[in-house]
Amino acid sequence: MKTIKILHMYADMLDLYGDSGNMEIIKYRCKMRGIECETDKYSVDSPMPDFSSYDLIYIGGGADLEQQHISADLLKCKDGIEKAYKNGTFLFLICGGYQLMGKYYRDADGNDIKGLGLFDYYTVAPTSRRKRCIGNIVVETEITGTPVKVVGFENHGGQTQEVKTPFGKVLYGNGNCSKSEAEGYTEKNVIATYLHGPMLSKNPEISDYMIEYCINREAETPEKLKPLNDKLENECRNVMLGRLLK
Amino acid sequence: MKNRLLILIGKIIVKLLKLMKRNAGNLPGIILWHLSGQKSVSMFKVDCPIIAVTGTNGKTSVTNCIAQLFERSGKKIIINREGNNLDTGICSLLLRYCDMSGKVDADYLILETDESHVPVVYSQLKLDTLVVLNFFRDQLDRNGEMETLIQKINGFCRTFEGNLILNGDDPNTARLGKANPKNKNVKYFHAEPYAFATDKIFEASEGRFCPFCGEPLEYEYYQYSHIGKFICKNCKFGDYEPYMTASGIDLEKPVFTADGHEYSPKLNSIYNVYNMTAVASAAKLYEIDEQITDDVISNYTVNNGRMENFMLKDRMATLNLAKNPVGANMTLRVMNEMQGEKELLFVLNDNVADGLDVSWIWDINFSIFERVTRVVTSGTRAHDIAVRIKCSGYDAEKIAVRPDLDDAVEELARTEGRKFVIANYTAVQPTRSALKRYIAKHGGKSE
Repeated sequence: MKTIKILHMYADMLDLYGDSGNMEIIKYRCKMRGIECETDKYSVDSPMPDFSSYDLIYIGGGADLEQQHISADLLKCKDGIEKAYKNGTFLFLICGGYQLMGKYYRDADGNDIKGLGLFDYYTVAPTSRRKRCIGNIVVETEITGTPVKVVGFENHGGQTQEVKTPFGKVLYGNGNCSKSEAEGYTEKNVIATYLHGPMLSKNPEISDYMIEYCINREAETPEKLKPLNDKLENECRNVMLGRLLK
Repeated sequence: MKNRLLILIGKIIVKLLKLMKRNAGNLPGIILWHLSGQKSVSMFKVDCPIIAVTGTNGKTSVTNCIAQLFERSGKKIIINREGNNLDTGICSLLLRYCDMSGKVDADYLILETDESHVPVVYSQLKLDTLVVLNFFRDQLDRNGEMETLIQKINGFCRTFEGNLILNGDDPNTARLGKANPKNKNVKYFHAEPYAFATDKIFEASEGRFCPFCGEPLEYEYYQYSHIGKFICKNCKFGDYEPYMTASGIDLEKPVFTADGHEYSPKLNSIYNVYNMTAVASAAKLYEIDEQITDDVISNYTVNNGRMENFMLKDRMATLNLAKNPVGANMTLRVMNEMQGEKELLFVLNDNVADGLDVSWIWDINFSIFERVTRVVTSGTRAHDIAVRIKCSGYDAEKIAVRPDLDDAVEELARTEGRKFVIANYTAVQPTRSALKRYIAKHGGKSE
């Protein structure tokens, strides 16, 4: 079977709210199925990697200071990331990673941090740093073909606008903007979302969607993943759904 | 006149709450906060020196020890022992001790102060000394981001000219020493490496870059998390003369030496060494008698779920509070450093005071587990911690999820052997109670 190659970008700087846990979960779910999974790390001033050689590129969220630190470096990667994305590399983006793939991020002081502009959305932070969307969130997504309720935790000031194809519908919480109906951005090879938690911890279907995408993206005959025992994960999600969607 | 009226109202509320047998910890302060235009400590007249202690971990311990230094020196002190450390809590405290004009009568005020409330409180009351212990990720969803928090305190330090006692081994706190170049009273405490110091970082943490020039910080050693001897090779941030250095740290005994004096503390953790070095710094600054300092540092122990021992029948269980990954990682290390097999109970709540977000458990390094034969999880987020431990590679079959605490303690004590219990903030007291209920029912003893 194919080895999944992952590029984890800015792991040392963009790792708020356990975002690196997402990589631990993907690796765990691959390992349990005997799927080889290799992760490379890229950070500021690393040699420029061949982005297209990866099946999945992952970027987590960070505090404002870290995001400023990396934005100039990320712009240097623009061509490489864009080419990889067009070639079908999966982009998995959380919070800051999500924002920086849009046109721009306008911070609380009105300064624009330029995004890669891969997608048409943009993000504006409210002028008051106190106004943040914080709390548990439930989103219903159809990315896997059937509706899945995804539970996570959001904590963002930025209001992301002009999202044409959101990741899902908000059932509880805020989403892209305060009290909005839609959350995140998606394409068949993109999941961009504000969900921390980490996002994959209670939502095994989403991990498996990405793993299946990665092993099959260049395959002649697509393979189905072997199911795992997700009793703990499902109970964990049900406890939260029971609590939030009363 | 307005101040007198506010004090009168406040005192009446305190009295009423007392009559109703209610805790006056915070409510009077909240009411005065509204009545005073959010300046709830501005109506007090404090002529004596105020010493404030802030930081993510260790505030309560250090505040209590500093208070003891003065108490044993025969001074009259006021301290917020119950940890009411917001402006409203401090207001409620001072209401109890002031006269009708708002004058507070004491030799020293020793105040544990929440990190985000330092500027609020001490823009209204003159501060003599600020002790800053450390900044870790803790309840980030309540405070906004760490950087915002540090900026707030940094803003306060820019015009502060009093004594600043800083943990020189935490770049997040040491940077405050540069906030006001005119302040000649900045004092750093520091500790030499202990036996388990590492040359690589062990846990996820903050502060990997120089806050002044953005270059990566270089470490000679890490004690735990991002605490250690660091320097920025570019701008020399971290190059300071320590005011107090802990050396000869041996946690087996435990002993350490500070300023030429050997201390034998009761608690054997590297945190405690840092906390007590902060206490020793305050003692030096206020010229406390050496014998008194020695007594305070050597006898300090805690009975509130910080490395507290229980016998569940004949099975020893050690309970430790972990409100953030740093605390939890330390407990896991203590577990690992101990020989033999053991079992772990992890109690995780997500009440408001814990921070509603539990993703910090993913920054705990469970992959280091050694000889842990079984895990029980409990609390309002019992399943989250179970999933986290499972995904670190631990056999899911050996994890028992018992959201109810009494069930969890029964499950833990069912088998022979050494037990460890980790509980987060709001889980600690309920966990202690559950352990005690078990002991009452089945036998054993608590400290």
